[in-house]
Amino acid sequence: MKLLEVKGISKSYKALQVLKDVSLDLYEQERHVIIGPNGAGKTTLFNCIFGTIPMDKGQVLLSGVDVTAMPSHKRVSLGMSRTFQKNNLFEQLTIEENLHLAFSSLKPYRRRLFRPLASYRDLAEDTEKLLKEWKLWDRRDRLVHELSYGEQRILEIMLAFASNPKVLMLDEPTSGMSVAETALTTQIIQNLPRTTSLLVIEHDMEVVFAIADRITVIHHGEVLITGSPEEIRSNEMVREIYFGGGALKDA
Amino acid sequence: MKKSEKNRIILFALGAIIILLLPNVLSTYGIKLTSELYIMSIFALSLGLIMGYAGLPSFGHAAFFGLGAYTVALVGKFVDSSYVLIVAAIAIGGLMALLTGLLFVRNSGAYLIMLTMAFNQLLYVLFYKLTDYTGGADGMSVSVRLDLGFGPLTGAKGMYYFTAICLLGVFALLYYLVKSPVGRISYGSKVNDHRMKALGYNTYWYKVFMYTVGGMLAGFAGALYGYYNSFVSPDSIHWGLSGQALIMVVIGGSGTLIGPPIGAAVFVILQNYISSYTDRWPLIMGILFIALVLYGRGGIVHMGQRLWAVLASRLKKTGGQSRTSAEQEGYRNEAP
Repeated sequence: MKLLEVKGISKSYKALQVLKDVSLDLYEQERHVIIGPNGAGKTTLFNCIFGTIPMDKGQVLLSGVDVTAMPSHKRVSLGMSRTFQKNNLFEQLTIEENLHLAFSSLKPYRRRLFRPLASYRDLAEDTEKLLKEWKLWDRRDRLVHELSYGEQRILEIMLAFASNPKVLMLDEPTSGMSVAETALTTQIIQNLPRTTSLLVIEHDMEVVFAIADRITVIHHGEVLITGSPEEIRSNEMVREIYFGGGALKDA
Repeated sequence: MKKSEKNRIILFALGAIIILLLPNVLSTYGIKLTSELYIMSIFALSLGLIMGYAGLPSFGHAAFFGLGAYTVALVGKFVDSSYVLIVAAIAIGGLMALLTGLLFVRNSGAYLIMLTMAFNQLLYVLFYKLTDYTGGADGMSVSVRLDLGFGPLTGAKGMYYFTAICLLGVFALLYYLVKSPVGRISYGSKVNDHRMKALGYNTYWYKVFMYTVGGMLAGFAGALYGYYNSFVSPDSIHWGLSGQALIMVVIGGSGTLIGPPIGAAVFVILQNYISSYTDRWPLIMGILFIALVLYGRGGIVHMGQRLWAVLASRLKKTGGQSRTSAEQEGYRNEAP
């Protein structure tokens, strides 16, 4: 079943058309990766799908519901979530406090006064469970700026994953990471439960082929092709413009 | 976590005891000055709440303070009950903050500062020009006296205890508010509004709420000031007072609850004592402000916290060393 349907998104900044009639979809349990050269419009597409910026034309359906006109926070309550290409965390807070904020967005007590947020049992349990699973429990009291870049990047995914979304959009999860950090992050993404479908922007081809069920190539703001990893790997046009003439034959 | 909570409650209780015993050692002038300080502390706290816990810097917070003060003066002509007047001042301050907050809080930083200041001056001009009702530049006297149901609180000590209890109450209230889900979430939107929206929060309403609470508390402080001073002038609704409150919050320490009262104390004390030596006291205030902003990386409280952190780590180090040497002694004793 189609979980996310993106129909004909167009977006331009003044004379510059960034997206031209982009359509793609995401099935339940699927891991769909978007690739394309720098400046192809991938992050703009994410911003339009998530409602961070308005689109000029097009439609976004989430589980069949038209969310095109909805603000981002409503999309989150319907099961959409995203990370950012540049770390977008609560710098002055600890890991634990970051997750408290991430988890409470869909809790019934998010509008309550007077009882301390940290004293809600289920919040503490959710936070502890996730931190232990992701092996950051020992570092829960660390402030974000004390973490390594790779850890911050992982926390970026954790914050988006905390709302237990149906659709999780990851914007270059491994950007700027070392080889070891990239390997760890790839593993983390592979181990995410299949109940969360993934829409991922990624540059690292090893990571792309390690996680993708399906790949969409975007070039100059247009969808060039959507297909299985094998199809993309063997497509002449894709090789020409994106892989630079078969450089990744063996990847 | 729990230990620090306990320590804080003990500190608060100690502070409360000191505050309540203070009139025994102060002169009448000192008592009056301290009462004024408590009122300004409540005002500074109300601004500190929206600045430090919702990321809404305002240069127009005196609008709500002035509205509270004028409520006591104007409505006081028709109503005697202090309870009614104080509640009315809180309600009017809150209502005006809600209405303007709905329009203003989508903006941030300099835009918000300009908008709040413009609104503040709008109200100022209104109260300044409505000479028939407000006395204009001459101000107006407050005809009612504070009476909580057991005779009017006229003496300096009566006013002192009332303002002291109000300050302690407001402080305790805000202590729990900033830890509550709403308080933490609005703090999150101060730290990173963009991310809070992506996490699924409608941060707009959290900000409007905090701004409204800030307006209510400023109205409350204004009402207390009306009773304390028995006189209200357009100064109490002028943007200059907004600026003073801003300075109090910044020099005390924004993003903390103890900061604004400390800033208010420094401000009121400097204003009163240095001004008896020189007319140029704002110069000293200004230098202190600039120095704290440039070199203090925060206010007095932040500097204190850093100093404490350095001291604590030193103490820990020497403590640790003495323990290891004691352990070594122990080994030595066991060895034979």
